[in-house]
Amino acid sequence: MSKSSYGGGVIITTLIIAALLTLLPLPDYVRVFRPEFVGLTLIYWALAVPQRVGISFAWSIGLLMDVMLGGALGLLAFTYSLLVYLVLQFHLQLRQYPMWQQALSVFSLILLLQILFVFASSHSAGWTFWMPAIMSMLIWPLVYHLLRGVRRTFHVH
Amino acid sequence: MNYFSPVRNVLSVVVYPIQTLASLPSDTSEWMSDFFQSRKELKEKNAQLEAINLSNSIRLQSLQDLQRENMRLRELLGSSFRLPERVKVAEILAIDLDPFSQQVVIDKGEGYDVFIGQAVLDATGVMGQVVKVSKVSSHVILLTNPSHALPVQVNRNGVRAVVTGRGLGKTLQLEHVPHNADIRVGDLLVTSGLGGRFPVGYPVGRVVSVSSAQGQAFAHVLVEPAAKLSTSREVLLVLAAESFSTAEDTEVVGEQVNNE
Repeated sequence: MSKSSYGGGVIITTLIIAALLTLLPLPDYVRVFRPEFVGLTLIYWALAVPQRVGISFAWSIGLLMDVMLGGALGLLAFTYSLLVYLVLQFHLQLRQYPMWQQALSVFSLILLLQILFVFASSHSAGWTFWMPAIMSMLIWPLVYHLLRGVRRTFHVH
Repeated sequence: MNYFSPVRNVLSVVVYPIQTLASLPSDTSEWMSDFFQSRKELKEKNAQLEAINLSNSIRLQSLQDLQRENMRLRELLGSSFRLPERVKVAEILAIDLDPFSQQVVIDKGEGYDVFIGQAVLDATGVMGQVVKVSKVSSHVILLTNPSHALPVQVNRNGVRAVVTGRGLGKTLQLEHVPHNADIRVGDLLVTSGLGGRFPVGYPVGRVVSVSSAQGQAFAHVLVEPAAKLSTSREVLLVLAAESFSTAEDTEVVGEQVNNE
């Protein structure tokens, strides 16, 4: 019980690392391939410890990301809470899926996020629009195993 | 909209450490490459800079003369004369924001009297303007953002136009230019100062293509930005310009017209 008390800290730390990966400067031709790191991390924690990651938590993280990335205030807050809501709703099914099927679900979740983002930002999107969702799908197994390792090491329940 | 700016201000301070942390790797690599520069390289660089400095100072001498002459002529014409603007240096945090928003974060905020709408230049031209200010940092929107527009004029003949962005890494374009406007490839565009936000006469870009397709209402003019939008680290913030003493000057002009 005492060990799980710093579970919140572990979750926050992984999210901060994800935010750093999102902010890390990359050359223009690489940056369009950047996966949605914060979204992936939120999906994992909502899947693994649904009682700890709620919609309001996702909302606050999204708000901070909005400020960090300089977008419209509340846009990411909304999309992340929707993301976490969907994962919480279906987390029992998602857990049963084999890895490739989980990755496909992640693809559709991140795609939904992107669609909302493009709708709200009034910019036309080219082929690069698909890249974050596809890359997120491809690295999902890696993220999953990495974060599971973290969760088991630090006993986040 | 304004109700939320205090919220954003507070949250900006919260996320600033993370932003600084994210810019650390490129800062460090820059510092390392500075540190391990060889003596020979440094000497070469120094010689190069001295040469540039020499040519600049020669030009500056004639500039002072020209400035005074310009002022005298403007006085003769009875029109307003411009005071030179002052600038303040800020540094860009090396972080990637959302690629759609095309903004950069600089390390100066309210503490340094940065204000919304302040013009931001780099060594070679106009970069954009400040859109959000918090205690310790501010967001600068780049010229290339499709929602950014900037009044310019052609340096050669004074034709006025509005330049808008088309997206990151793309050229800018001139809006609503009639087919018969005298704009040619290679023309330098400078800020016209008409919007009241940007100081007058700073380079914005060069025209790279002019095409007037039949059936189109306006000519299609593309402009290559003069500022090094993706590589420069130091930027200049133009201080609130008292460059126009509008009220008095219009009076003076009016009097002259009456006299004639």
